[in-house]
Amino acid sequence: MLRVTLSRSRILLARPAAARAQWLAPSRTAFQQRYFADRKTEETLVPGSQSLKQPYGGVPPVPGVAKSASSTVDTNTPAKNIPILPPKPEDLSDVSKQTLTPPTTVPTGTGTASVAPPAGPTNPPKKSRKMRKFLAYLLVLSALGYGGGVYYALVSDNWHDFFTEYVPFGEDAVGYFEERAFKKRSQGRPPALPRLHEQVRGEEKVRIPSNAGVSSRPAEKADLGGKGPHVSAVDDNVPKPKPAVEKGAAPVTGQEKKNQAPAKPEESSSSHKLLPKQDGKQESSPAATPSAKKEEPRPAAPAPAPAPVQTPLVDHINIENASEPVVQDVVKILNDLITVINADGAAGKYSSTIESAKDNLKKVIGDINTLKATEQKNAEDKIKQLHAEFDGAAKQLLQRHEDSIQNQEVRWKEEFEAEQKLIKEAYEQKLKTELDSVNKVYDQKLKNELLEQAIALRRDFTTSVQNQVETERGGRLSKLGELSSSVAELEKLTGEWNNVVDTNLQTQHLLVAVEAVRSTLENSTSPTPFIEELAALKEVASNDPVVSAAIASINPKAYQIGIPTYAQLIDRFRRVATEVRKAALLPENAGVASHVASFLLSKVMFRKEGLPVGDDVESVLARTEVLLEEGDLDGAAREMNGLGGWSKTLARDWLGECRKVLEVQQALDVIATEARLQSLLVD
Amino acid sequence: MSDTTTPTPATAPALRTSRPLSESLLNDKWDRCLSSLLIKSGLGLSFGVIFSVLLFKRRAFPAWVGLGFGAGRAVEECDSSFKGAAAQSRDGLRVLRP
Repeated sequence: MLRVTLSRSRILLARPAAARAQWLAPSRTAFQQRYFADRKTEETLVPGSQSLKQPYGGVPPVPGVAKSASSTVDTNTPAKNIPILPPKPEDLSDVSKQTLTPPTTVPTGTGTASVAPPAGPTNPPKKSRKMRKFLAYLLVLSALGYGGGVYYALVSDNWHDFFTEYVPFGEDAVGYFEERAFKKRSQGRPPALPRLHEQVRGEEKVRIPSNAGVSSRPAEKADLGGKGPHVSAVDDNVPKPKPAVEKGAAPVTGQEKKNQAPAKPEESSSSHKLLPKQDGKQESSPAATPSAKKEEPRPAAPAPAPAPVQTPLVDHINIENASEPVVQDVVKILNDLITVINADGAAGKYSSTIESAKDNLKKVIGDINTLKATEQKNAEDKIKQLHAEFDGAAKQLLQRHEDSIQNQEVRWKEEFEAEQKLIKEAYEQKLKTELDSVNKVYDQKLKNELLEQAIALRRDFTTSVQNQVETERGGRLSKLGELSSSVAELEKLTGEWNNVVDTNLQTQHLLVAVEAVRSTLENSTSPTPFIEELAALKEVASNDPVVSAAIASINPKAYQIGIPTYAQLIDRFRRVATEVRKAALLPENAGVASHVASFLLSKVMFRKEGLPVGDDVESVLARTEVLLEEGDLDGAAREMNGLGGWSKTLARDWLGECRKVLEVQQALDVIATEARLQSLLVD
Repeated sequence: MSDTTTPTPATAPALRTSRPLSESLLNDKWDRCLSSLLIKSGLGLSFGVIFSVLLFKRRAFPAWVGLGFGAGRAVEECDSSFKGAAAQSRDGLRVLRP
């Protein structure tokens, strides 16, 4: 089949292309058809471009021609009429120029596109636009995603961890937003000052002096003991007048500075001190200068000088002891009035009134002075009274104080006496107890001494009694020792006899134990362990070396598992004998053939009976059987042990059993003999 | 064999597990030899049959040859086992060669 297809295809391939063209060309022109078997020409078109066939009509284009046409396009034909081919590297520049003018004409070909497709290079813009769109979407989406991620990171802790760890710059972004949130929260406060920081750096250190702030200070105690205003009620008034006068002087200076000078001397209330100052003042007003008593003539003297024609000038008033400021003011006013009148030259007119005024004034001043004096007197009286009162009070206080002190003293004295008494009592008590204890100790000591003496006496008594007894014993009781020695000898004799009886008993026990073991062995129908009996035997023997050696000679398996009975041994021998007979004729180092031969021949061999003479297997077996029937286990085992080769190998187990039994029998014999020997050795 | 086993159950398994009874040694060997003869001759026969089918156009002789090979090998093994067994085993003994 395969060959057929291959040959067919080969034939198809072998057909010349020219012939195909011959009969295919017209059909193709007719139906515009192309077969798969045809060679593919340059019909491949760039999408959107016109087919090459169109300008050449029905004739299929030759590849060479098409190529030449495309190569000559740039010079001869306009760009819109020729089909656009994939640009060649060398034409690239031209093609790019042509693409600037897309074709507008509608192609007349069979192409499905009704409108001229955009030129080749128009595709890249589309692509780029798509790309740009895609990029924009991507950018927007990623930005949104990033923003969302940042926001969610601010909300969820898990996402925060994930975002900051795996997303690039995620940590910075989230950190920035967190910081902003923190700042917003702390906006009420002033922006963080670098105050602390500067302090840490050591700049602008605020230094607080050591004595700044509040500090403690002992309260100022009004030292009532020292001197002060409180000591005397009289002195209180002394310092006060000065500030009062000064206060009074202040308005004076404010009113008139020129009159200050005359006012001041008056304050000092010393008329003779005023004189020199008033001399200086005489230049302006000479009337004021004369002293109190010579006032009137003196002012009168200068007065006529300015106005001799007129009535004599009114004298200035001067009043003694005008210490009161009010009085001074009044005097001053009056003086002013006088000066005015004098200056006016109307002295004659007002002199009478002025004089009356002066008199009145003087009277008033006198009244004031008397009032003052009475007041002062009253005050002094009052002060004196107060003094007396105060003194009385002080005296009372002192008295009371002294009384209290006396009371205290008395009380203290009483207390002291009581305390003294108490102490005395306590001391006496202590003394008494001490005395008692000392007495007791002394008594005890005395008692102890007495006791010691008593003990010593008793000891002496006992020793003396002992000595007496010893001396008695030496004489009369010496025969008791002989008696006791004879009794001891008797005891020894009885003990020896007891020993003999004991050993007899022991040997009897031993015999009994041996018999017990033997009986268990004989009575058992199957191999039973006799380890208990053997243990009892060993116990009874009580470390008899012979017995222990005999027991040690027994194979442990024998008493742990048990030994087969005689009947079992015979039974087993019969089966062993049949097996041995099968291997009776085997030579040394026999193979399969000899085994088979021996097996077959052993079937037809004659069996011997009785006690035949000879070393062959058959006679040995016969002899062994006879011996076993006689009960000579030892002989039977010896006979079987004489075998060799396969026969002995087969009989090995049986021999082992026999040996075990024999060992046990021998050991038991030895023990029984030993017991008998022991019983004989007693006498 | 069954008779030697004691009625007491405690002793019987101890004996059995330790080692086979000496009188049954030869019988055991025979059993093993026969079984191996069967198996090996069967194997040889089957190989012979396969060869005859594949290569020898279903002739009979390859089967016989295979049977012979198997049986021969079994017999040889059996022989060696019989030969070595009678003599006392030399396991654990040092052999001095001249």
